[in-house]
Amino acid sequence: MTTDIARDIVALKLRAASEEMCKTLQRTSRSLYVKETADFCCALADLEGRFAAYPRNIGVSGFVGLNVRATVEAAAESGPLRPGDVIIANDPYSTMGLATHLPDIQMIRPYFDGEEIIGYGWCFIHCSDIGGRVPSSISPSNDSVFAEGLQIPPVRIVRGGQIDPDVLRLVLRNSRTPEANHGDFQAMLAALETGCRRVQEILDRYGREAVLSTKAAMIEETGVRTRSALRVLEDGSYRFVDYLDHDGVSGVPVRISVEITMRDGTMHIDFTGTDPQVNSAFNVASQGTVHAWLVTRVLALVGTLDSEIHLNAGLTRDVTVNAPHGSLVNAQRPSAVGVRHASSSRVNDALSGALVQAAPQVVPAASSGLVVPVVLAEQRAGGDVVQVLEPMVGGMGARDGADGVDGRDSGISNLSNNPVETVEAELSTTIHRYGLREDSGGAGRWRGGTGLELVFEVHARASLLTRGLERRLFRPWGVAGGHPGARSELVINEGTATEQRPAAPDVIPVAPGDVITLRTAGAGGYGDPLDRKPGAVEADVRAGLVSVAAAERDYGVVVTDGVLDPAATASRRANRRAAGHGVGRGAEVSRWESVFGIEDYDRFVAALMARPLEERSSLRETVLREALDLLPSSFPAGDVEDAAIAGARDRFMTALAAMEA
Amino acid sequence: MRKDQAITTSRIGIDVGGTFTDLVVVPQGAGGDVQRHKTPSTPHDPSEAVETGLRDLLEDGLELSSVDAVVHGTTIGLNAIIQRSGARVSFVTSRGYRDMLGIARARLPESFDLHAAAEEPLVPRERVLEIDARLTADGRLIRRPSEQELDDLAQEIRSTAPEAVALSLVQGFTAPSVESELARALEERLESVPVVSAAGTWPEIREYERSLVAVLEAHIRPLMERYYEQLRTRLSALGLTAPVYISASNGGTLSLDYAAVHPLETVLSGPASGVTAAALTVPDRRVLTFDMGGTSSDMSVVVNGTPILTTSTMLGRLPLMLPVVDVSAIGSGGGSLVTTGGDDDVATLRVGPRSAGADPGPVSYGRGGCVPTITDAYLSTGILDPQQFLGGAMPLDRAAADTAFAEVARGIGANSAAAAAEHVLEIATVQMSTALRTLLAERGHEPSEFTLVPFGGAGPTHALLLAEELGITEVLVPGTAATFCALGAAIAPLRRDLARSVRRELDGPVRDFATTVVADLAAQGVLWLRASGGSPDRARLHLSADMRYQGQAYELTVGLSERGIEGADELVADLATLRESFHAEHERVHGFRDDTAAIELGTLRLAVVSAPADPPVPDAAPALVDPQAPRPSAHRRLRRASGWKDIAVYPAAALSGHAPVRGPVVIDVSDSTVLVPDAWTASADSHGAIHLTRQHPTEENRA
Repeated sequence: MTTDIARDIVALKLRAASEEMCKTLQRTSRSLYVKETADFCCALADLEGRFAAYPRNIGVSGFVGLNVRATVEAAAESGPLRPGDVIIANDPYSTMGLATHLPDIQMIRPYFDGEEIIGYGWCFIHCSDIGGRVPSSISPSNDSVFAEGLQIPPVRIVRGGQIDPDVLRLVLRNSRTPEANHGDFQAMLAALETGCRRVQEILDRYGREAVLSTKAAMIEETGVRTRSALRVLEDGSYRFVDYLDHDGVSGVPVRISVEITMRDGTMHIDFTGTDPQVNSAFNVASQGTVHAWLVTRVLALVGTLDSEIHLNAGLTRDVTVNAPHGSLVNAQRPSAVGVRHASSSRVNDALSGALVQAAPQVVPAASSGLVVPVVLAEQRAGGDVVQVLEPMVGGMGARDGADGVDGRDSGISNLSNNPVETVEAELSTTIHRYGLREDSGGAGRWRGGTGLELVFEVHARASLLTRGLERRLFRPWGVAGGHPGARSELVINEGTATEQRPAAPDVIPVAPGDVITLRTAGAGGYGDPLDRKPGAVEADVRAGLVSVAAAERDYGVVVTDGVLDPAATASRRANRRAAGHGVGRGAEVSRWESVFGIEDYDRFVAALMARPLEERSSLRETVLREALDLLPSSFPAGDVEDAAIAGARDRFMTALAAMEA
Repeated sequence: MRKDQAITTSRIGIDVGGTFTDLVVVPQGAGGDVQRHKTPSTPHDPSEAVETGLRDLLEDGLELSSVDAVVHGTTIGLNAIIQRSGARVSFVTSRGYRDMLGIARARLPESFDLHAAAEEPLVPRERVLEIDARLTADGRLIRRPSEQELDDLAQEIRSTAPEAVALSLVQGFTAPSVESELARALEERLESVPVVSAAGTWPEIREYERSLVAVLEAHIRPLMERYYEQLRTRLSALGLTAPVYISASNGGTLSLDYAAVHPLETVLSGPASGVTAAALTVPDRRVLTFDMGGTSSDMSVVVNGTPILTTSTMLGRLPLMLPVVDVSAIGSGGGSLVTTGGDDDVATLRVGPRSAGADPGPVSYGRGGCVPTITDAYLSTGILDPQQFLGGAMPLDRAAADTAFAEVARGIGANSAAAAAEHVLEIATVQMSTALRTLLAERGHEPSEFTLVPFGGAGPTHALLLAEELGITEVLVPGTAATFCALGAAIAPLRRDLARSVRRELDGPVRDFATTVVADLAAQGVLWLRASGGSPDRARLHLSADMRYQGQAYELTVGLSERGIEGADELVADLATLRESFHAEHERVHGFRDDTAAIELGTLRLAVVSAPADPPVPDAAPALVDPQAPRPSAHRRLRRASGWKDIAVYPAAALSGHAPVRGPVVIDVSDSTVLVPDAWTASADSHGAIHLTRQHPTEENRA
């Protein structure tokens, strides 16, 4: 065993430098995404482009596994990098997935010791607009990256400390918010300068060798700790499939399939069986790498198992990925990728579904798996006022030993909500209720977190957007006998003559007096609800999170006038145990898979993937549509006759056979 | 001991720490020495140590009749909040908002934590009651409960068996009187249970944070009332008739009567008092305070004698919107534990975050601690003299510290106990300096712009190590460093902060409305000042406002005006001046202005401040009487840069009036020790403050 105090100290300083870069960026930026939602980050990379020092709890943590090397090499094709050069890029395809959609502007500055590069400073920000078809550049219905804005391949925006005015003009001309972007660029350059200064100080005092070896040791230390944490997952292969309700335009569900193979703390994730890339902006341009949006849940698991681990590329050292070329999770140019985080929510759930098989004591049931920024665009004389009411999430999944968190979920973007008082000051609306949704958390020995309910009345003519309102079809699943959470719901004027349940949650016109109710899905439960302590069910009933009826139906617990009835509970539970209980993934998934069976669908995906890239998506939609047309429009929700299921399945199998022929 | 007590009056400041309760007697006006006293703290009832300490001072010759005021700070309110040990609170809010406290601001502390848990709620869901009362954003009451509904609600509240009730309506801040009246109506029905109104207490926009103000206030008020009553009884028993003041989180003080009803304004007074002391005793420099105690270290920035306040601090995981002195933790304290970890290939040395606290404390305390701490590292490197700790009051066991570090040395492959201890100090220094640098970067400052003012037990010991690492070249160790918080309590002004959100586009009518609001705030403030026994002649009113360009996501707090009480109606300037104040501040902070954009007036903030007589100020430059350097009192073997060196030790008193001494030396000050590295010189002024300057601001001789 050896020690090296200089290494411990250099590591501390490098991590602090990455944090100071973030603080510099945040303070000098003036755009909404940076100030309010912290959609940015900074880090220091080693010579191989791996992040060695990455900040904790500032900015976006999930990008720690990205790599700047391909971007640097692409920029260097037009001549070697010099001190004071800064690279700009936002194109997911030519950065090998460093940029994950176009609004995320990347900047990289090589840091030198004399004439030699010793590492890279990196930062990104989500800018307000980078051009394209719609303001803010992101729309699910974009069908190509060309609609999503200006694509910037890796080029130099600063040469030897001087901004290239031509590149700057070109980039700014292609944005609807040139001034805000310009401000953001300056903040990014300031952050890279801060990083450069700190790295230079460290070099002056400890020398090049110390910096290079410390970075390697930092990644090594995290790699060792990660692997040791992941040994909690039992060796073996674990498969799970989960579904997005739709891809934003086609209206047919999208399947995500993972198979995780664990061996002595190393992990291989195979996405074979995942649907082909789609004709909307839900694609992930991973380029086949161990991409941030494909492994977020794995990083979260490591952070859960080892809360003091330092974030860096070591987290993914022993993780490999197979993401089939041209699939949703390895989309090819010119696929649109703007809303890749929506797919990532479900990738997270699919990963969890596999991981929980390998470590049932550690991994929770599905969280609600959605983020819905409820947006109201009010038409006013001076122009529309567009404002997010609340970023709605659901709850977190239950696990062995603990209920899930109610109405809060750190899993995807961990955003803060908006004070109702400021929302009402800016929009002509009254928020009647913003609270937890009763009976939505999946029942279980440990209860899944509840979803949220938002009820608001609009006082002006407006458009309502509820993008990301997922889990209206397929529920967040339970584990080990735990029930799934309730499905999401969107209702306008509920319980009145004008009640409306909009099918496609895109742009919905609303009029003064309309009352909108949005309920997000609850999270999955863990373990048999009949094993839940009656006292815990009684407490949930008293708190109003579980109704008296649901306590009896789901838990076999009888509560009368707020007080537990132990005798009635015991006999109810005895009867219920004999009768068996529901399926953890929910009746909707069962119905879906009775038509599109998991293995049949594997063959279907294989057949699709054998076709040319550009044919896959529409062929998939056509085949599914033909089968779905034989079923009620509410399918897979609601009861369906067996004959209809059989008919649809026959249609699907016939089409499959034709494709395989 | 002073000889002119009969003619000089004094203020007594008292700070209750984890181990000791510090008392200082500060003579009024210029001249005269500050008298200090320490007595063991009595955590079961802090007022017991207060009484003991005062009794000791009386026995030492303090005349009760010469005492102008006693100022006391306590952390029992904060402890009650952290431990959820205050009153059982029920919460009443507008219909539809039962989960306001549970959902909170939604965000959880960590993204990478699948086992994340929500914070322990102060009020569980079954004790939250909804009422049909609601206002609109522009202050209209759209739903008002009937008398019958109030009766029913009171019945429901009783069934939750609360000791205190918090009331907060959505948009309640737009018309605070509505909520106050409702609170009174409920209080009448509930008889002996107090009802705290959020809008009546702090009418600022943001329903969750404002509701928490009421809930927290309700949670600790019964407890604090009992404590202050006890304190009052003890002090009367001593025969003390001078008024008693309570240190507040905003760096000021409050009357005992006011603090008993508004205890939430005092919960963070501990760290604030030290910053106040620095602000008032070093008014003419940019000061970085460095308070290193037993469990942690804090920093704060003071510019032009004014502490910086923040309205977004946390009490554990609960946000506090009341203005408090902006103090940030930067890491280890003297009791932080040293641990070794890593695997077979890579050994790592970690310092903190766990602490040995006061009990068992460092290994060298000999109270059963077996994991070494930073204090032990001072001892094993020779910085501390085991016989001189706390002025000799508590001898330390150096051999025990050395043994513990020998174990650490084996763990990390260092060649001696002293080498391991030296590494520990190096790592602790880098941890603190990097945390501090990041916090300064957040505020747009560079460390080298500041004079470092260390205090707390270990502050002076570690200050120069930290200064070296940060490139700071000026350090000023106050003569009262170890009792600095008590000094700050004694000399702090009476201060109350008031706020009221307006949240409208700034135009003529809104400017006039702001005038009405500010007049109302000023009237409340003046009334409070008189009731607290403050001097209206010395009172100043400071007006500031949170403003932004319409559509911006963030607000800027803009200082607007300052007047005496007689000028209260001139506080709100004309429209053009108000607008320009914002444009100019926005340009200063964010680098641009937009003269065509609409400006929104968010929250108006008024501070009412009334200072006591002038505090002691360090001499600008140490007075040189004897051009000879002073004589050292002893020599000590000190571990520096991987070797042992024989260095001189000076008592602080010996420095006064002499030419500066050059490092490396050690200076023993009361209750603490200053390590002076190479390249630094030290001299003392007539108040016993030590001025340290780095001669060659280069990197060659590092600490």
